[in-house]
Amino acid sequence: MTEQKTQHEHIVQPEMQLDARAVKLNIFSKFLHTLGIYGIAGLFVIFGIVLQVFGVINGFLSVQNMLNIVDAVALLGIVAVGMAFVTYSGHYADLSAPTTMALTGIVCVQMLRYGFLPAILISLAVGISVGLLNAVAIGKFKANPIIWTLAVSYVTLGVIRLVWVNKQIYPDVMASSQRASDLFDAIYRLRFFGKIALPVIILIILIIIYTLLMTRTQFGAQLKITGAARKAAKFSGINVERIIGAAFLVSAVSAAIGGLVVTSLSRVGAWYNGAGYDFRAVTAIVIGGMTLAGGRGSIIGVVGGVLIIGLMNNIMTLLGIGTFSQDMIRGAIFIIVVGVSAKSLRSLGRDDA
Amino acid sequence: MKKLVKLLFVGLMLLTAAGLVFAGGEAEEAASGAVEGNLEASLAIDVSVLTAADGQPLIKLGGQTRPVPERPADPSALPETDPLHWWDMEFAGWNSVKTNIPESPKDGAIGKRIVMIVHGDHPWTTACSNGAQKVADAYDIDLKIMSPNWDLAVQNQMIDQAINERPDMILLIPLDAKTAPQQARKINRAGVPLILFNTLPSAEAMDYAIAWTGPDDFGQFRILSRLWADALGKEGGVAYVQHAPGGSPYFARCFGPISELSEYAPEITVLDKQAPGFEADKTMQLVSDWLTRFGDELKGICAADDSAQALGIFEALSKAGREDVIVVAAGNSKVGMDLVKDGKLYAITYQTAEGDGALAVKTAADWFNGLEIEPVRYLPQHMITVEDVEDFYPPQW
Repeated sequence: MTEQKTQHEHIVQPEMQLDARAVKLNIFSKFLHTLGIYGIAGLFVIFGIVLQVFGVINGFLSVQNMLNIVDAVALLGIVAVGMAFVTYSGHYADLSAPTTMALTGIVCVQMLRYGFLPAILISLAVGISVGLLNAVAIGKFKANPIIWTLAVSYVTLGVIRLVWVNKQIYPDVMASSQRASDLFDAIYRLRFFGKIALPVIILIILIIIYTLLMTRTQFGAQLKITGAARKAAKFSGINVERIIGAAFLVSAVSAAIGGLVVTSLSRVGAWYNGAGYDFRAVTAIVIGGMTLAGGRGSIIGVVGGVLIIGLMNNIMTLLGIGTFSQDMIRGAIFIIVVGVSAKSLRSLGRDDA
Repeated sequence: MKKLVKLLFVGLMLLTAAGLVFAGGEAEEAASGAVEGNLEASLAIDVSVLTAADGQPLIKLGGQTRPVPERPADPSALPETDPLHWWDMEFAGWNSVKTNIPESPKDGAIGKRIVMIVHGDHPWTTACSNGAQKVADAYDIDLKIMSPNWDLAVQNQMIDQAINERPDMILLIPLDAKTAPQQARKINRAGVPLILFNTLPSAEAMDYAIAWTGPDDFGQFRILSRLWADALGKEGGVAYVQHAPGGSPYFARCFGPISELSEYAPEITVLDKQAPGFEADKTMQLVSDWLTRFGDELKGICAADDSAQALGIFEALSKAGREDVIVVAAGNSKVGMDLVKDGKLYAITYQTAEGDGALAVKTAADWFNGLEIEPVRYLPQHMITVEDVEDFYPPQW
């Protein structure tokens, strides 16, 4: 009997070992995968509350402070939720986003001489046309997304500098009327109920539309398959060229809207508007749990990544941490989140992204 | 017969030699006359009548000298709040030991060839180049402008190219303060006269250049900080939105006022200083966080940029309903001047972009003309307030 039991134990041991390995995830990893990115955001909030309770910082939990955080990251959110489609499609990032923002903004300022609405429509069309170019080159001709979008960003930058002779232009000077100039100014500054800024409303609308697009439409399902396994998607009859192209178009739409917002905020049409938003958006996307390999993640997760960036900046400034230390801490947190996420995914046998 | 031929030959040689000597003398005399004529014509050119796009004089010399204190034995040993701690940066160039500097040809600026290498494409650079071109046109100088577009490797290549072209002068905005000595040494060893301008390089670079011209950032901010302190009643908590770390403006526009106010208004306390970059949204979040953290304690903000940073500051102040915070900033962009006109920004520094380029070319012209060149030439110092902001419209860029 004892012998039999031992034999039985020998037989089941490998299975038990597998189970044991499956639960070897550390508490943080389990927490991450149970609550997702909002769990981490929650940790930041709890950390802020603890600091406030112990009198280390002031005013963290106030409504105004929370609104400030959302206000500050709304623009990044607008760009990031659009670029997330590119990442989701397995094409890493859209590095032409900053120059698309700049081009849309400067064209809008230039076109204000024809009135507010024509300027908005023309500039959005110009911004989206950059996405169309990316869509054709990367979707149809399979250009490397990083190299291509980087090249497009240089070309766009060159066009802006050439056309506007390296000068910046001002909405109040270019506009046909004071009303057109004021309306353009209001894109960033209009507040609903005196508190909620228009860019926040725009972000919320985009989150709803993009979430529905990604999760409730045939396009979303096909994008997920394309991002996860392009060849499999192709063999299953999906028009991957069109799907990938559409992802770059969505990114361009977001970048173009972001361009209008940032230009309204800075009151200047210039080639440097939007600089840095490519890497900032990618950071938010990755922190938000969307894998660079494609096919995994969500818009809500990306918004969580954006909020974490805002919360992190807020708490660090309230703590009085200096610029250099802030950069270091931001980088360390990015490494920890990405590292833990990748490790736990591997432990779960899901993928190595 | 042979003797006759020899005599004829010697006579011919003597005649030829005499002819050459005579002709050479004539040519020298003519050249000397031309040099004198060129110098005379060059010296007669008055560029002080030229104006910048904002209607201000393009060049204004002589009104911006301030006493240079004696250098402490070890400035870095002094606390950062001591003005003399910043001596090496603030007065860089004043104590340089000039090395292998060529003698002025003293033959006038007219017709000279100058290569101007800037740092990169920017609306400011366009205005700066316009100013340089105006002075070059006045002297009939052939000015060639090169832009490496913020790429140090490309700037180094451009320096090589410029040296190969053997111009009469190179004007350089060094992209990187620490690399500047190598660049300056290379130009110096090639025997091409050099003037550095706009950004402050490491002190060693000054040894190889005839002069450095540009804004007196420390000086401007010392004046601005006194104006600001007076408006604050010489008390209260203040914060600094800094320039990009590394360059001289990062120190001048923050530690300039801090060290000045430690003596002029010691009751003013520094609450925080941060460098959020030049994006309005980042600055807005920073200032919103400051308002949450410091509340009514925050009475004043000093910004390194009167454009995006200033807009971010005022967005945050407007959201919090804090119109009492006194804000000052560097630069006179259109955005900044509009904010001054609207009564939001209390004061900004006059930073003439056209004048910056113009002063470098004017200094080169002075050197060709054999005039005395100070090791450092500053742009005019002026604070723009609501009282005189209208005088600076339209903006230069």
